[in-house]
Amino acid sequence: MKMAALAAISLAASISLSAQWLNYPTSGVPKKADGTPNLDAPTPRAADGKPDLSGLWLLEKNLPCPKDGCADMEVSREFINLGWNVPGGVPYQPWAAELVKARREQNGKDDPGANCRPTGIVKETINPFFRKFIQLPGELVILMERDTVYRQIFTDGRPRLLDPLPTPNGYSTGHWDGDTLVVETSGFSDGVWLDRTGNPLTESGKIAERYRRANYGNMDLEITVDDPKAYTKPWTAKVKEFIQPDTEMLDYFCLENEKSISHAVGK
Amino acid sequence: MAELSHRWGSEKSDGSPNLEAATPRTADGKPDFSGIWDTPKNRPCPPDGCPDQEVSQEFVNFGWSLKGGLPYQPWAAELVRARREQNGKDDPGTHCLPIGFLRLHTDAMYRKTIQLPGLLVMLNERNASFRQIFLDGRPLPEDPNPSWNGYSTGKWEGDTLVVATNGFHDAQWLDRSGSPLTSDAKVIERLRRPNFGRMEVEVTVDDPKAYTKPWTVKLDLILMLNTELLDDNCLESEKDIPHLVGK
Repeated sequence: MKMAALAAISLAASISLSAQWLNYPTSGVPKKADGTPNLDAPTPRAADGKPDLSGLWLLEKNLPCPKDGCADMEVSREFINLGWNVPGGVPYQPWAAELVKARREQNGKDDPGANCRPTGIVKETINPFFRKFIQLPGELVILMERDTVYRQIFTDGRPRLLDPLPTPNGYSTGHWDGDTLVVETSGFSDGVWLDRTGNPLTESGKIAERYRRANYGNMDLEITVDDPKAYTKPWTAKVKEFIQPDTEMLDYFCLENEKSISHAVGK
Repeated sequence: MAELSHRWGSEKSDGSPNLEAATPRTADGKPDFSGIWDTPKNRPCPPDGCPDQEVSQEFVNFGWSLKGGLPYQPWAAELVRARREQNGKDDPGTHCLPIGFLRLHTDAMYRKTIQLPGLLVMLNERNASFRQIFLDGRPLPEDPNPSWNGYSTGKWEGDTLVVATNGFHDAQWLDRSGSPLTSDAKVIERLRRPNFGRMEVEVTVDDPKAYTKPWTVKLDLILMLNTELLDDNCLESEKDIPHLVGK
């Protein structure tokens, strides 16, 4: 009994010390009278008066759990299908509809993310991992827990590239439209999956993101896909992000101890 | 078109930069390490010309500047010899795994340092990856989940930022030669920015399991202006692994 109690005490002590890394208080969080974070506090502002998007963010988990309980890692509806809520459905070109059907039939086994390759900015944005926004003069940096990768969005007025080397993330520039940060990205490589369903993004695709931090704790994001090669018209998804105070990201590397790929079997 | 493409990496500068100018400082008066940094290419090119990507001596052998080299324990010397004989085919970086937190300083790709109140972020062009060094006073974790980057905190000693890291695992190679770092090691990095154009990183490794005594290597980094990081993704179009054949 005494030993068990001692063990429990020492376990508790080691948990609380270890936990200080992940539970260390975030500085500058507005508090309510009872000391809890005031998520309805006004939007923080940068020195130039623009909203400051800095902070650790997580996407809303809006996918209902199955009857036998929630998965360890809950994902959003958008992660499964970015266009689940588009009126009339995603406006596929015929070949793209066929491709998505085939990818679903194959259980999404060729999803770049499932194979530890870069997933591109859209899927990075709708996955269930933390993202840390760092807003600097002239640049917004987003650190992403998944694969410990970053993304840069230049707000310093540099011109769009005419003929960039295609990459999964493309090249992002942003400007302010009132209190909304509008981010334009192009220069994608072919083969990007927007979501687990396999909605494609082609080399000629453009992504527009509109970030609006409504208050301290909430950010609204609209993602517009403009890719006439794959879709008959542009379409938009709206998601919500929530601030995550008093926690931190841990390093995550898909290729480390990878166990999924061998289980991803198609037909 | 080429010129427009070029401009992503080369914002027009007016006048030549003064790299000897005073160390920039943040609002709290501390040196500001922010900027894009590269490793000096201090390795002579072979007679048939330089490779596309020139690497530093430290990239090949972290202890090349030390008299007698790194003070390996016998098993570590044996391991490095075996890894060299196998052409370094098991180098984690070659297999698109992370290169680890110390090789970040010797890599042939750009690093962008972002200094914030309470946090230093290093963006590494390789694999578009990042490392965080917390300056907010949090203690190092006591029994963390081992990782490639480990867990890093920094505190100021005058104008030197002293970074302590723990919680890394045994798998990382310190250099292409395969010099090991065990999870028992104590690693300290001392960062200084003596002027606008230079940063010094003094790495001290105290790893009695792999080395007979603590050793210190000083790395000089140089500021890169009017350029930018591009995304590198090792697994995209990967062509190396099948050519890496040992004995």
